[in-house]
Amino acid sequence: MLKISEIKKSFSGIFEPVLKGINLSLEKGEFCVLIGANGSGKSTLLKIISGEYSADSGEVRRNGGVSQVVQDVNKGTIPAMTMLENIALSRTKTPRFSFYKRHKNDVRDKIKDLNIGLEKFIDQPLSVLSGGQRQTIATLMALNSGGKILLLDEHTSALDPKMQILLMEYTVKSVREQELTTIMITHNLEDAVKYGDRLIMMHKGRIVVDMKGREKSNLTIPFLLEMFHKFEDQSLLHEGEENVC
Amino acid sequence: MSVDLVINGLQQGLILAIIAYGIMIPFRFLDFADLTADGAYPLGGAVCAVCMSSGMHPAVAIPCSIICAGLMGMCTALIHLKFRVNSMLAGIILSTMAYSVNLRIMGKPNLALFDCGGLFDSDIGRNMLIIIALLACCVLPFAVFLRTDFGLRFRAVGLNPNLAKQQRISIGKYTVFGLFIAGAMFGLAGSLIVQLQNYMDVGIGVGILIHGLASLMIGEAIIGNATLNRQLMAPLLGALVYQQVQGIALSLGLAPSDLKFFTGSIVLAVIALKKMENKLK
Repeated sequence: MLKISEIKKSFSGIFEPVLKGINLSLEKGEFCVLIGANGSGKSTLLKIISGEYSADSGEVRRNGGVSQVVQDVNKGTIPAMTMLENIALSRTKTPRFSFYKRHKNDVRDKIKDLNIGLEKFIDQPLSVLSGGQRQTIATLMALNSGGKILLLDEHTSALDPKMQILLMEYTVKSVREQELTTIMITHNLEDAVKYGDRLIMMHKGRIVVDMKGREKSNLTIPFLLEMFHKFEDQSLLHEGEENVC
Repeated sequence: MSVDLVINGLQQGLILAIIAYGIMIPFRFLDFADLTADGAYPLGGAVCAVCMSSGMHPAVAIPCSIICAGLMGMCTALIHLKFRVNSMLAGIILSTMAYSVNLRIMGKPNLALFDCGGLFDSDIGRNMLIIIALLACCVLPFAVFLRTDFGLRFRAVGLNPNLAKQQRISIGKYTVFGLFIAGAMFGLAGSLIVQLQNYMDVGIGVGILIHGLASLMIGEAIIGNATLNRQLMAPLLGALVYQQVQGIALSLGLAPSDLKFFTGSIVLAVIALKKMENKLK
């Protein structure tokens, strides 16, 4: 469904490449959690998969449309449009000369499914909602856009703990129902352990851990933390050696 | 201020509303600073004047003006998209070129059409009905379009181009379409004003953009543009108010030569008021 081969990416002004030859293959319906320290290249990888950035070298093969939720909620939604218009927009990839309000009942049902009382704002501009509520709508848009590949970049980061759980449960349910091939970036280790069939850790532009199956289901937070520290220590040691040289 | 002045103001305000709608489309829906109005409006007038003076029925001359001015709007979009020329510069270049084109079309700087028999006569009520009917023919289909899937995607182009790309919306196609519609509206307004005045002068377009922009901004200042309905009402309301304000200013002794300064002042005042309002919020 998604195959990434030898992806490399550098940005002008940054000496070290951001991605140093990423290889990754995901099956249909596979849910992959992507973790790593800030600056490890996670978001850049997602932007290359979505087509927002082009890679310096390598190849991305997508077998289906891509839907994504980005970190910046203003980029992922249109605050001047109503909630209905935003969600209807994500469903118009094959547009018709008919009124977009035909989606209203279905959209209302989808919002009701979330069970957070947002349905009363269906005809209000998104600008009246909080950042977290808008992030929820952005996720709903991505899940309803008909794409077969779903990219989530810290899509619950702006939410309170209760909302985080609700949205994560909803996301997982929708991903399973629609058999979406998913990559989810998170800094929440609890989510990383709890959700997904596969866990990938990135460090300085490389995939350093790739776990699935039993290995993934047996994963614990202390073990994940230990791995985090191990790679951080290694890189500090490496930088120290370079400084001595 | 006499009743005649008010009625004339309403008549001209309705035509100005068509221009304001043409300005609203690129500025508010496409985030495209389009300055084609100064060229497309007189182009519409020139085409209409020449068609009528060559014996064509005035009702047939109007579509000719609409198509020519619409194509000019399309050219602005294509110059911007294909040659990556700044949108404002593309509009200025084409408006400058249109001046020469208009002179070529007419063969001289002005044309009198008193013997050609336009759509309008001395019955102001009938004239207004014709303008209202034509305005409705432009605005209502566009308002319906904006409520379809295509219209939703059209609005997304200006409001969030990145998201629009993500939704696989062809920004180029929608921009070309939008500027064609805007140009067509300028062409319609040009042909109507020529038929109303029975006279076409190559200089009628100078500053028309700022009149239309002032109308749009006044309308938005009065009823806002938070919803689609309000956005669609703003040009009409703004143009009618603006034309009456202009009439009041003239009746109070403002020299016609000072009108452009007056218009610019209104635009600046509305911008300043909006800024102050935002700061207070």
